[in-house]
Amino acid sequence: MNKNVAEIIDALAAHQDHASIEVLEELGTNSPDNEVREYTSRALVRKNIHDSLKIVIINQGKGINDLSPSVAMSTINEILALKDKSEVIKILDDTINMHSDEAVKENARSVKSLLALS
Amino acid sequence: MPNINKIGFNPGQKIANPFKTSRKSSNPFEFSNFEGNTLPFADVFEGFENKTVNNSKLKMITSSVAGSMTKLRSSITEPIVNFVNRVRNGISNAWDYAKNTNISDLAGMKVLNDVMQTDIADIGKGLTSSLSGMGKGISEKMSFLNTDVSEIGKGLSTKWNELISKIHTNKINKDTSVNELKAMWEAEIAASAKEAA
Repeated sequence: MNKNVAEIIDALAAHQDHASIEVLEELGTNSPDNEVREYTSRALVRKNIHDSLKIVIINQGKGINDLSPSVAMSTINEILALKDKSEVIKILDDTINMHSDEAVKENARSVKSLLALS
Repeated sequence: MPNINKIGFNPGQKIANPFKTSRKSSNPFEFSNFEGNTLPFADVFEGFENKTVNNSKLKMITSSVAGSMTKLRSSITEPIVNFVNRVRNGISNAWDYAKNTNISDLAGMKVLNDVMQTDIADIGKGLTSSLSGMGKGISEKMSFLNTDVSEIGKGLSTKWNELISKIHTNKINKDTSVNELKAMWEAEIAASAKEAA
């Protein structure tokens, strides 16, 4: 991954502006590069706000639902490393209860089990 | 009278034969030396002290050394003579050469004569032209150096400006606006796509 891209992602992760989340979702999670997707997902998890966590949990093909196992596992590890997990648990519960896609539900359920065990 | 009788001829007195050699000794050099009249070794060589060496042995050594020295003198006399003769002939040849050779034929004299016959003004002229040529060459070199230095300075300033602009453009932190960050990211994606193509 390009060093400049990593710096840009870090800078966007440090921003409190909601527009930064949109840029990360638009350019980062849709990147064809696995490393960029992985780095972006971890940055979104570190933000630990509803809008950023929602992107990596409920969207198919992004975050924990990524087709790349390395991206999915890195995102799960970052979630497990959060100090405040309240917002994550809330989104996971909503996903398990209300999401239409069964695969996304199953992934959310697995992550919640890991959180309970950790 | 009694004194005269003492030194007069005495028929009863035995006179030793000076030419008769004694053959009682076993010394092989005895018959070729001076019948025991050789100088003691300590008298021939100064500082030599006769302490424990047998007297007959000393005589043998002395006689052999004396013979060797005689031979040595005869062997080196001939070459010295030849050497002296050669030197004398060499000097004679040199003298003949100097006497019969014209001074104008000596090596280097022609050049010296040419220089001496040249007018001093011409020499000065030649020196002036040479110096002016040197000065011109140096001036050309210096002007070349000046051009080169200015070119170097120009190149350095360009590189410096590029470096500064690069530092400014690479200044990515949380203070950079989201729109700028997005534009940078899109530029990076475009550049990587171009490289891949």
